[in-house]
This record gives sequence, structure tokens and C-alpha cells, in this order.
Amino acid sequence: MNSLTYPNAAHVPHAVRWGTLADGRKVHRWTMRNAQDMRVDISDLGGSLLSWHTPDRHGRIEGVVLGHADPIAYANALGYLGALVGRWGNRIRNGRFELDGVSYRLDRNNNGHHLHGGHDGFHQAVWHVDTDGNGLLLTLHSPDGEGGFPGNLDVQVRYELQDDGTLRLDYQARTDQATPINLTAHPYFNLGGARGDIRDHLLWIDAEDFLAVDAGMIPAGKESVAGSAFDFRHAAPLGSRLTWPHPQLAVAKGFDHCYCLREPHGQPRKVAQVIDPASGRRLTVITDQPGLQLYTGQYLGESPKRSAGFYKAFDGLCLEAQAFPDQINSATAERVVLRPGTVYRQSTAYQIDTL
Amino acid sequence: MGLSPPPHRIALLFNANKGYDREVIAGIGQYLNSTRVEWDLYLEEDFRSRIQGIERWHGDGIIADFDDPEVVAALSQSALPVVAVGGSYADASLYPERIPYIATDNAKLVQLGYRHLIDQGLSHFAFYSLPPAPGNAWAAEREVAYAQLLQADELPVTIFRGQPTSAGGWDHASEQLVEWLQELPKPVGILCVTDARARQLVQACQLARISVPEQIAVVGIDNDSLTQMLTRIPLTSVIQGTEEMGRTAAHLLHQMLRGADHTQTRIVVPPVGINVQSSSKHQPLRSPLVMRARHYIRQYGCLGVKTEQVADYVGVSRTALEEHFRRELKQTVHQALLQHKLEHAGELLTSSSLPLADIAVRCGFTSLQYMYAVFRREYNLTPKQFQAQQRGIDITESTDSSAS
Repeated sequence: MNSLTYPNAAHVPHAVRWGTLADGRKVHRWTMRNAQDMRVDISDLGGSLLSWHTPDRHGRIEGVVLGHADPIAYANALGYLGALVGRWGNRIRNGRFELDGVSYRLDRNNNGHHLHGGHDGFHQAVWHVDTDGNGLLLTLHSPDGEGGFPGNLDVQVRYELQDDGTLRLDYQARTDQATPINLTAHPYFNLGGARGDIRDHLLWIDAEDFLAVDAGMIPAGKESVAGSAFDFRHAAPLGSRLTWPHPQLAVAKGFDHCYCLREPHGQPRKVAQVIDPASGRRLTVITDQPGLQLYTGQYLGESPKRSAGFYKAFDGLCLEAQAFPDQINSATAERVVLRPGTVYRQSTAYQIDTL
Repeated sequence: MGLSPPPHRIALLFNANKGYDREVIAGIGQYLNSTRVEWDLYLEEDFRSRIQGIERWHGDGIIADFDDPEVVAALSQSALPVVAVGGSYADASLYPERIPYIATDNAKLVQLGYRHLIDQGLSHFAFYSLPPAPGNAWAAEREVAYAQLLQADELPVTIFRGQPTSAGGWDHASEQLVEWLQELPKPVGILCVTDARARQLVQACQLARISVPEQIAVVGIDNDSLTQMLTRIPLTSVIQGTEEMGRTAAHLLHQMLRGADHTQTRIVVPPVGINVQSSSKHQPLRSPLVMRARHYIRQYGCLGVKTEQVADYVGVSRTALEEHFRRELKQTVHQALLQHKLEHAGELLTSSSLPLADIAVRCGFTSLQYMYAVFRREYNLTPKQFQAQQRGIDITESTDSSAS
């Protein structure tokens, strides 16, 4: 009888006024729920994942992603907390690249390099939001020249919270001129709720190589993880790994490195897991992307908390599924170029359950 | 040309009869597999025999259990690269000098077990340790960590060391343990310094007909599969990061063999999990807010804190906290605070000879009159009548006379 899937009325998210930005733009918040009592809050501001409440091993519901207090705090923030990031997630060396014989100059907003779409990246935009069955469909028009990128780009991201604890993000984009593209999401997870930092979390990443970086955090070459602090092929606690002697950890003051995920790229596969022993929560990352940026939140001291005060270094960790940093300046540049008439797609899911 | 150098000869000085040591060794093996490093490993059936001749041994490096004072002494003059594996110390000066040290984080092991007991909704806690002996400095470290956590929460620190595990007079030791268990306020959560200790404790509870986990919730440390098998009630246990310790030790030694200097390197490995079984399943409160609020009330309730402060501590609005309390405990935060003060005053009235005015102050009542009013409303008794009644009941019970 119920072979047609109608959205469960209780699950259909609806908009709530969240606040007003300094320039007068009004922003909103949508809440999605699932059968496990999970709750996910998403805003049109930056398309941000504001909060995600999930049960621990005792069924107690706590928030597991970091966030700020209000829209103004998000608009002024520097840490990209929970935001959708584009048109180019991560860095591009010197903010320059060449495409079809034309060289382009991008916003240089990170030590002379381009980072996360520049000054007017997607994290700063107010996205258009529609409900779409049990999910939310966020759309954004990024005009030709924004941040220095060529072409009018139309982006859509669909969020859906599923009953098994999976939060899916499906991205699509179309352009009218060839442009580099690398979309990602930037939630900071702390599976312990308000208690403790991520140094007690265990991490597993299914990758044999990572990209070592230079002093400007631009990839300098592929390195094997084998036996090093970067080897998470067996799950290991982040806290002790952060104290292993390794020159790359000194450069980044922690982990802020892209892992080269196993082939095949382009098909969703389980690439990483995080476990919090105290709460029993487990996060699984599934993606079709070739790269996974691990960032351990060493600069979180600049990010205000929801309540008074600031976060501390290592209060949250990011696992950003994406193309490789600065890939547009590499031999595989063509793989990160979107051309008119073709569609960019990326699909990433974060699933949370308990042990 | 074309000939690779012979593999390094590495001695592993561990007691491979114990689960902890075996897992560290497994971690070393994982490192070798994942890096394709080839070492000739020397691992003795009776590892004591290796220690005795170690200074004459022609090898390239050693990874050793530094919880064992004999091993520490035997290696103090070693010319070979040595990586130490052992328990963490709160006082950094207790680590051996000029030797890289991979530690299991004693403080975090204890913290994880204690937090788990708080999560179970318990308000009384105790720690079952071991008498000090060579080779168990970690027990003292865990005691200190436990005491610090309880002191920070302004809760009484109750530690019982009992008799050594291997003592012949097990019956006597067991009687002492039972006596201690009977005196503890119930329900109580007891963290044990090892799984072996936890198993004894569960046995003693069965002997004394004290129900686990209803009266005594038990958590061990080690997640030792053998002990698990020998315990009638499946044992909750904190899991040490032993394999990671082995991987880390192997990594450091590997680098040292290539010339790296790690004499100042110290890496502390946190626990990797808690295996939750029925020995600790008390009655967890559903709401973490209520749990944290109650924990705060137990600590500061008698200092005259108000609902507002409890809400601030938990980090939610008063209204939200009240809603959680209503749903979970069917009472308001104010009622919970009052109940805590009342219970505390009741204990003092029963067990101390403090003047009533002092008791009122100590329990956070704004005045003696207010304490009177609360007692009359809640018990329909004055504090003095309450005291007389409690003491009367005590006398009746202890003399076993049929008071009529």
C-alpha cells in the first residue's frame, strides 16, 4: 500500500526566523529530525550546519558539532564552522591558476594564498532554501568574477537526515564558462558533546598517502603514511598522535592535511571513522571524493562559542571531503574544471551511531 | 651491492603471560607489518632470564616494560637504544631520565571509568585499589587521579586497598573487603584499579549478597578477556590504548635506529574505549542536562545555590532545565535542591552532635527557622524530633530488641 514514499509530516522541515545580519538581510533556520530523535539545524546563512543533536550510548541527546551563538557571530567568524565551502574549498597557491591559456587572479585571503572561495565565499552567502521531501534543497548563484573565478555558477546542495543517522550532502553545479570547482562542507565534530576535546577521540582513515605541505600549507608532495603519525589505517587516539615527533605536525601545529583516499574515486565508499570512547558515539564518513582534509581545530581559539567565551584548540575536528588542495595547479587540473554543458557532482555522507 | 643490511635485533622485555603486555607486543607487530620493517625479535618464554644478561646481549635495540623496577634497574646502564613502555606519572620527575617513554594515561583511564559511573546516575563513589608493591606504581597513580577527580567535584574520597591479590589468607582478605563494602552508602559506583580487582570485588558482593549492579556498580580497567570469562557478572571495563602504545614504541625505536634522538620524547596514550557490560548498568538518567545538574547540586547544593546557578552551570535556560527535571524526575530544580539539603541535614542530625544552627548553615538553609519550616513541611517533624526518631530507630536495629 505504502509503496510510494510520502514524506512523514513530522519530518518535513520548516523555516524559522533566526535573525538579521548587520546589512539587514534576514536569515532563517530549518530543523530536520529522524526516528532516533536526532535533530539537525541548518541555516540559509552559509548553508551552514548549525547543530546536530544525537543520542549517546545511553540514548542521551547532545550536540556534536561546534557553532556560534547567532547570525552576526557567523557573519563575523573566521573558522567556517559548519559552512558549505566554495567555489574552491581549501587553498590555491598564490591565488593564481591558468585555464585554457588565460591566467586568473583570485582573492588572496590566507597568507598570500587563496582559501575557501575568498572574501565572498559561499560560507558568507545567504542561500535560497526549499524543502524537498524529507530534505532541504539549498541553491546559490555565484556570479562571474566572484572571488576572481570565471563563469556564472549555479550550485545546489541537498541535505537529508535519514533514519539510520546519516546526514547526506549531495552537491551539483553548472557553469556558463570553464571554472575550477571544489565544493565541501566544514562541520567541526566533537562527539563528546560538551565534555572534553577531540584528543580523546580515535580516528581511522582508509588512506595510504597524504599530501605533505610547505610553510604556506600548500601541498609539496605525496607521502606514505606508513608507520608515521599520519597512519590511521589502524584506529588511533588523536591526542597521542598529535605529540608524535613529525615535521609536518610542526608545520601545521597539528593535523591540517589532505589524505589521498583509495580508488575508485567517483563512487561513494567508507573512508573514515571517528570514535569517542566516553559517549560511545561513532562518526562514519562516506564520500565519492578523492581527498579528505583532516583538520584538528588548532586555531579554534579565535572562534566564539554558542555560550560565552571562545573555543579552545582541539575542541573540534573537521573531515572535509574534497578534491586535492591546489589541484588546479597540478597535472590533474582538468579533473577539477567544470565546463559548460557538464554537471559537477559530489556526494558525501556523515553517519553517526553508537557502539 | 644488492645486499640489504641484516635485520636489526630487537629485544622485547615484557611478561607475555599478561594480556596488557601481549597487546603492546601485538602493536609492535602491527607496526612492523604496516611499514615492512624487518626486525629479528627476541622474546623470551621466561623474560626474567633475558633481563639478567641484558648488558652482555649483542642486539640493536630494546623495548621494555618500565613498570617493572627490575627491568628499569637492568637497563639503567644500557648502551643500546631503549624505548620504555609503562604507566603515566602525574609528577613528570618520576619518569626515567633520557629515555623515550610511551605511557598509558592513568589519569584518563580513571576519568573515563568515573564519568561512566556518573553517567549511570550514581551519587556515591569509591575506589578499590591495591597495596603498594614494586611494579604497581600505576596503582598509586590511579588512586591520586581518582582522589583529584572526587576532590574537584567536592565529593568524599573513599579508597580501599585491601590485601595483595596473591596473599594466602584470601578468606580474611575477603572478609575485610565485604566489611568495607557493607559500610559504603548505597547505591555506590566502585572503580577498580584492574579487572582482577574488579573480579574479586564482584565475588565478595556475591558472598555478601550485595546485588551488582543495583547496590554496587563495578567498573574495572584492562578489558582483560580472561578475567571477563571468569567473572559471573559481565564486567564493564576501561580499555587501555595498548596496541597504539606498541605501535608508538616501535615507531620511536625505528627512528632511533636511523639516528633520531628521542631521549626527551614522552607520548601519553589515552584509553581507547570502555566495554560497557552489566556490572555497571545502574539506572542511567536519560537527560545529560539533568545528570550534570544533579552532579552540580550534589557538590554545591549546600552552599545555597539557586536554580539560576544550576542552569548556568549546565548551560541552558532555567525554563529548559525545569522542563527536563519535570520530565525526568517529576520535580522542580528547587525541589531537587531542597531535597539535597534536607538529606544532608538529616545525615548530620543522625550522625553528628553539631548544634542545629550549625547544621542549618552547613546545609545551605538561610536560617534555622527556614530549616524548621522545611522539616515540618516535608516530614511533619521538627529537626529535633527527626533526630530523636532517627536515633531511636538506629538503637532498635543495633540492639535487635523488640521495641514495642
